[in-house]
Amino acid sequence: MKAEQQIPRNALVWIVISLFTLVLPHAARLPAWVLGVYGIAALWRVMVYRGRWSFPRWPVKLTLVLAAFAGVLLSFRSLIGLEPTVALLLIAFAFKLLELAERKDAYVLLFLGYFVILTEFLFSQDLLIVLLCLLNVILVTTALVALHRPGEDRFSMQPFSKASVMVLQAAPLMLVLFFLFPRIGPLWTVPIKSQQATTGMSEFMKPGDVSQLSRSGEVAFRVAFEGDIPPQSQLYWRGLVMSRLRQGTWSALNYYDVPASERRPQEPVTAGPAPLRYSIIMEPTQQRWLYSLRYARSNDPGILSAPDYRLVRPVVIEDDFLYRVSSWPDAALENTLSDWRRLTELALPQGSNPRARQLARSIAAGAETPADIVAGVLALFTEQPFVYTLQPPLLPEDNPMDAFLFDTRRGFCEHYASAFVIMMRAAGVPARVVAGYQGGEVNPVNRTVIVHQFDAHAWAEVWLEGRGWVRVDPTAAVSPERIELGLEQALASEGSFLADSPLSPLRYRRIDLINKLRLRYDALTYRWQSWVVGFNADTQMQLLQQWFGEFNARKFALLILGSWALVLIPVGLSLLVRRRTHEVRKLDRLYLKFCDKLEKMGVAREPGEAPAAYAARARRALPRLAAQITAITTLYQQLAYADTEQAALDKFAAAVRNLN
Amino acid sequence: MQVQEAIDAAVAEVGRVLLGKEPQIRLALCCLFARGHLLIEDLPGMGKTTLSHALADVLGLSWTRVQFTSDLLPADILGVSVYNRNDASFSFHPGPIFTQLLLADEINRTTPRTQSALLEAMAEGQVTVEGETRQLPEPFFVVATQNPVHQSGTYPLPESQLDRFLMRLELGYPHPQAEREMFQRQHSSSAGRGALRQMIDAQQLQRIREAVMQVHASDNILDYLQRLVAYTRNSPEFEVGLSPRGGLALLDCARTWAVMNSRGHIVPEDLQMVLPAVAGHRLIPSGDYSGDGAALVTLLQRNVDVIRP
Repeated sequence: MKAEQQIPRNALVWIVISLFTLVLPHAARLPAWVLGVYGIAALWRVMVYRGRWSFPRWPVKLTLVLAAFAGVLLSFRSLIGLEPTVALLLIAFAFKLLELAERKDAYVLLFLGYFVILTEFLFSQDLLIVLLCLLNVILVTTALVALHRPGEDRFSMQPFSKASVMVLQAAPLMLVLFFLFPRIGPLWTVPIKSQQATTGMSEFMKPGDVSQLSRSGEVAFRVAFEGDIPPQSQLYWRGLVMSRLRQGTWSALNYYDVPASERRPQEPVTAGPAPLRYSIIMEPTQQRWLYSLRYARSNDPGILSAPDYRLVRPVVIEDDFLYRVSSWPDAALENTLSDWRRLTELALPQGSNPRARQLARSIAAGAETPADIVAGVLALFTEQPFVYTLQPPLLPEDNPMDAFLFDTRRGFCEHYASAFVIMMRAAGVPARVVAGYQGGEVNPVNRTVIVHQFDAHAWAEVWLEGRGWVRVDPTAAVSPERIELGLEQALASEGSFLADSPLSPLRYRRIDLINKLRLRYDALTYRWQSWVVGFNADTQMQLLQQWFGEFNARKFALLILGSWALVLIPVGLSLLVRRRTHEVRKLDRLYLKFCDKLEKMGVAREPGEAPAAYAARARRALPRLAAQITAITTLYQQLAYADTEQAALDKFAAAVRNLN
Repeated sequence: MQVQEAIDAAVAEVGRVLLGKEPQIRLALCCLFARGHLLIEDLPGMGKTTLSHALADVLGLSWTRVQFTSDLLPADILGVSVYNRNDASFSFHPGPIFTQLLLADEINRTTPRTQSALLEAMAEGQVTVEGETRQLPEPFFVVATQNPVHQSGTYPLPESQLDRFLMRLELGYPHPQAEREMFQRQHSSSAGRGALRQMIDAQQLQRIREAVMQVHASDNILDYLQRLVAYTRNSPEFEVGLSPRGGLALLDCARTWAVMNSRGHIVPEDLQMVLPAVAGHRLIPSGDYSGDGAALVTLLQRNVDVIRP
């Protein structure tokens, strides 16, 4: 093998290092044996380098590949889908190490490495992940740089600094591409639906579900208000409106459950004064509904209004999603109730929860207006010994609300909302359950409201003549702290807050430093999401129009070319300055070409052989070309060693060209 | 070039007594032209002393010979002060070192104490006896011979002292043809020595030295030299790499070699020709490398390409 095709030791070290840092962000999603494959592949390659073991032959390689497929199939129960495909790619990446014999193999591996870095973004675009990926880009580039430094037999950090400088130099080009390159929609898509469990709310609510969310400290969404932030107790983020009760489970109406004439929301009669304006960045939910304060409208494209005054999106939210909303919290919703709507919002399954219905009817009998019935039921929750807890006893399958109201009397928002709505409906007042989030943490760093999964909440809406849909939160009657101060305070005595997340920084927010760091990082994440992740074709167009006025294709092309020129011209100039050393390199390249030509005729230059000695040997072997060989060698020696004028370079080039 | 002819004549003249050893003769001359001291290492009877005598003759230098033995003392080389009864004072009697060419025969048979007495003389061109520093004649060369280190009754020269010799040469057995010719002449080396004529005078020596100063070393050459030196320092086969002084020695010898080949600039061959003699005794193989200094030089020459990679 020629020396220039070998992989220098230093490059091998960097390749192995970058291999492991590449797999690092994937590690949590991969089965442990894949990490084992990485360890073994690295060990094998190092043993090959030390001359103890040899490269695997094809039967071994074939077995390994088949075993990898079988392993992925066993671990993921499928070969199709995002996780299994990425796992296969990562295993192939590790196996490629066992074929790493020449420099060209290293090229394949490292270019594949850049692709592997990209796959991480299919799962997460978190700020820390992006920083890690940036480091990975530098490391892979380091390995590439080290690959081009033959003869470096000791580990050296020098390629790393060189690669860092190179990546830094690429930053202006990256910015140009980010801001200017047209964001073209995908020409074709493959379903790459992740197998990750959907996070957040589900479409169904059975008392007991939300308690799972209450144990999670993950962020659901972040809100930035344009004006002042309303008080905590007013922040009811509506997500789902559940009008249908079947077998003890509440669910939302599907689009086709609603009659065609009712599919658009009625305009509220009184739209109130100035609206609240805010923008929300949602974490991916794999669902279609969006969260907003009531009564919400959004002018963003691709956001629809549902008849129950929610916002929905026709496309599943798979990435961080930014939208802008205007809300009129005091607007009266649906002043006139259609017959279909009234029937739907009064429906109860036949014969379920008889005691609860009986109680509701008796309260209704003693009340004059529907508002009195509401007050009566809420009074029931305050007067009777109801307890707010995240650890309620299990309820029986039959008539669970009877058991809750009359026996256990321990539960949380879902229990109260569900029981309240059932009793309202039994008393003849249209009512429904609303699921979403309540409250949120105000980040003092950037004045955003962070809504966590543990802020998940369920409450009720009742329809009152002349006032439309009115929000009633029965939980507030039982445990006012939950609404005023948040879940953590409400559960202070129970200790079940974030019981399943022992490492969540939220648990340690009493420690001032950790809390400050957490909030700072959250503010950074918000900025990252709103500026980078949320930068789509529309915001791009907006920004460009703001900067450069009316926009057309020609201007666009000019702008891109112009900014590229702006970046590349300094690079070109600096190359011109270094032209002299470049000429020397050209001289060596030409001489090596001459050697290649002679090698094809059967006279290869020995390792370390000097030009004159080589020429003498070549003359003996190829007497026909003796004169030319002498002339070329003399010219080379004059140019390279005597430093005569460079004009002879052209003569030398011609001489090498004419040799055959 | 007049100098060139003089050098060729000198080589031929020495070749008359040392048959078939032209490369070694040229290297030895190169070493002296580069103002360096020469170490000749070989088995007894290979012509070491013959070569050194011949060199002194063709250069027309005054020379003395000191046979180094295990009981030789520093004063035996440097000289002593003797009390003069007539004027009641000490007068200095210079030792054999006060000469232009000192032939130190079998230098590794004497004790380290005496070996190191040579040190100052070789490095500084002066000696200090009884607190008084005295200049040695100009030029001053030491041509030392030594037996291979593993022979019995030897005190190996330490690395620091080896480094003072610009070159180390091995003569080796003569070519059979040359040996046959030698047998046919039927005269011993001492008989032939007196017949050698001076070929290079002081003026020519001076001119050669001036020419050496003007030899051009291009960036390519310096680059090659630096890569050679760097390789010895970074490769696991080498215990100790070439010192900066070793690198300078290489460059000086390559310059001289270029002049001896009537060139005004160094080519890689110049470096490669002097490399074994200049670097061989300065390189030490590391523990897990089985080859000796010569094998190391071959390795070095093969693994560092003349053309920048």
